[in-house]
Amino acid sequence: MGVLLSGQLLFAALSTGALYALIGLGLNLVYGTMRLLNVAHGDLVMIGAYIAFWGFTLLGLSPVFGIGFAALAGALLGWATYVCLFRRMLATPALLRRLEGNSLLIFFGISVILQNLAALAFTASPRGYLYLDEVYHLGNIAMTGNRLLALGVALVICLALYLLLRLHVFGLAIKALIERREAALIVGVNIDRVQLVSLCLGFAIAAVAGVLVSTTEQISPFMGFPFTISAFVVIILGGLGNISAGLAAGFLLGALQIYGVALTSASFQSVLVYGVFVAVLLLRPQGLLGRGRVLR
Amino acid sequence: MTRRRVLELPLLVAVLGAVLPLSGSSYLLGIGFSLCCWIALVQSWTVLSAMAGYVSLGHVVFYGLGAYVVALSWGALPLPVILILAGAVAGVFALLVGLPVLRVRGPYFVILTFGIAELVKYVVILIESRLGEFSRLMFGAPDLPWLYGIALGLAVAATLGAVLIRGSRLGRGLLALRENEEAAETVGVPTTRLKLIAFVLSAIIPGVVGGLVALRTAYFEPMQAFDPTVSFTIVTMAVVGGSDDARGPLLGAVFFTLLSELLWARLPQFYMVVLGVLLIFFVLFIPRGIAGIMRSRLRRSPS
Repeated sequence: MGVLLSGQLLFAALSTGALYALIGLGLNLVYGTMRLLNVAHGDLVMIGAYIAFWGFTLLGLSPVFGIGFAALAGALLGWATYVCLFRRMLATPALLRRLEGNSLLIFFGISVILQNLAALAFTASPRGYLYLDEVYHLGNIAMTGNRLLALGVALVICLALYLLLRLHVFGLAIKALIERREAALIVGVNIDRVQLVSLCLGFAIAAVAGVLVSTTEQISPFMGFPFTISAFVVIILGGLGNISAGLAAGFLLGALQIYGVALTSASFQSVLVYGVFVAVLLLRPQGLLGRGRVLR
Repeated sequence: MTRRRVLELPLLVAVLGAVLPLSGSSYLLGIGFSLCCWIALVQSWTVLSAMAGYVSLGHVVFYGLGAYVVALSWGALPLPVILILAGAVAGVFALLVGLPVLRVRGPYFVILTFGIAELVKYVVILIESRLGEFSRLMFGAPDLPWLYGIALGLAVAATLGAVLIRGSRLGRGLLALRENEEAAETVGVPTTRLKLIAFVLSAIIPGVVGGLVALRTAYFEPMQAFDPTVSFTIVTMAVVGGSDDARGPLLGAVFFTLLSELLWARLPQFYMVVLGVLLIFFVLFIPRGIAGIMRSRLRRSPS
């Protein structure tokens, strides 16, 4: 039991949790504003990771700059997806009726395309690089620089977005769209623009998370799916579209995973994550949206 | 529906399938085998996912369980018993998880089925690694003509089943609950029971197919047997072929089996990209699939 109280595990839980909170935040923005079920979310994490990897190994670019490029690439992809696929869908009432189901299939297609394009371009073999891997000690906790960086960046972005949604008028527009779509339209929110920006923002956040992941883990074209699943666990735990509860849920999932693995063994990790995912969906199948929306 | 119409499609599959071995080419027989397997999988899938509208993105779980049953019992039991057992285990699994799972609706059902398939995959991996097994070889598996015969039988059975169910009380009940579950319940459709029956029916044949494919490769490995690509391919075949009647899955299965024959061996990743692009295109622009286009063409022509 002594192991469970160690600061080392707490740090691991915090840094994993911050990453999950960040990834969940991106998904929440996309789902909240448009009801699009983005099952390609984890693949954007993968893209961000590859951008950081190639930037670092080919150009010697620090992943800190990689964050900027990844965000840009994510936002561009978001823009392209919105303009090519979803703008028409979101504006057509007939398609809107089955939006969630159809968006899921479409994003599934996107996910398969991104994974396999990445595998074609970069081969399927896992890659990695070393960055900021010196160990710092705080009391008896050993922390690597890259994990500290990931924790810091994730926290800063989460906080910045939280404040944007609370204080800035554009953030308020996003919140309005999440909470009352029709009402937002009536009070003059430019829905098309808010949707576009939310999608770009959501994609960019996922790509930035990918940069952070790449500094600590090996990356591969098929690394994304577990992140998609984690992101869904987070936003379902926190209530779909509920930004601040989603942030808390990210840390909860991080703690669940780290302490769960510490109590069992590493071979249980996937079973644990998928187990939590299935359990959450089964135990709280409806009413997840907080507002009793019919899930159809 | 007249009796003739009911038997039309299954007969077509049976006759075409019976002619194929006459070619004497084992290459063609191999393609025929996978085609029959896909037809059986997609037709079974439509029972739940097209008729009741509960789209399953985790059908590989039944396929994988069937393969696992075959891998575990190969050599200990005779072949017919093993295959029946594979179907039975898949059906019982559907029965057990069905009640809680089918309470979840719409897109949440879709991601839930995916999650369950992955969960079962990792549980099987865990069990296998605890047992000290990483892959299992099956020696003395039946020859291809035998396996082909069984697969053809499954394809015909699944097609016949899909046609029959669609015309039955069960099928109409499922269609009703697809359109509006509350309304269906109000007028006395036993929605929970129908959904559960459909779920179990759509699981049994995929279980047997999984077992057959394991025998064909004479090899079982959880990552491969529970590969989510299988679920994805089933859904794509159904969407592209169209799943409003039993012709769609046939068309989808034929189209993608031939495409995969052309591309998979040389460019597997490119094949997956094509699959993804076609899925997106059909969802956005041709939601009724190839069969839907054919239907509206036929209706327009003055016949």
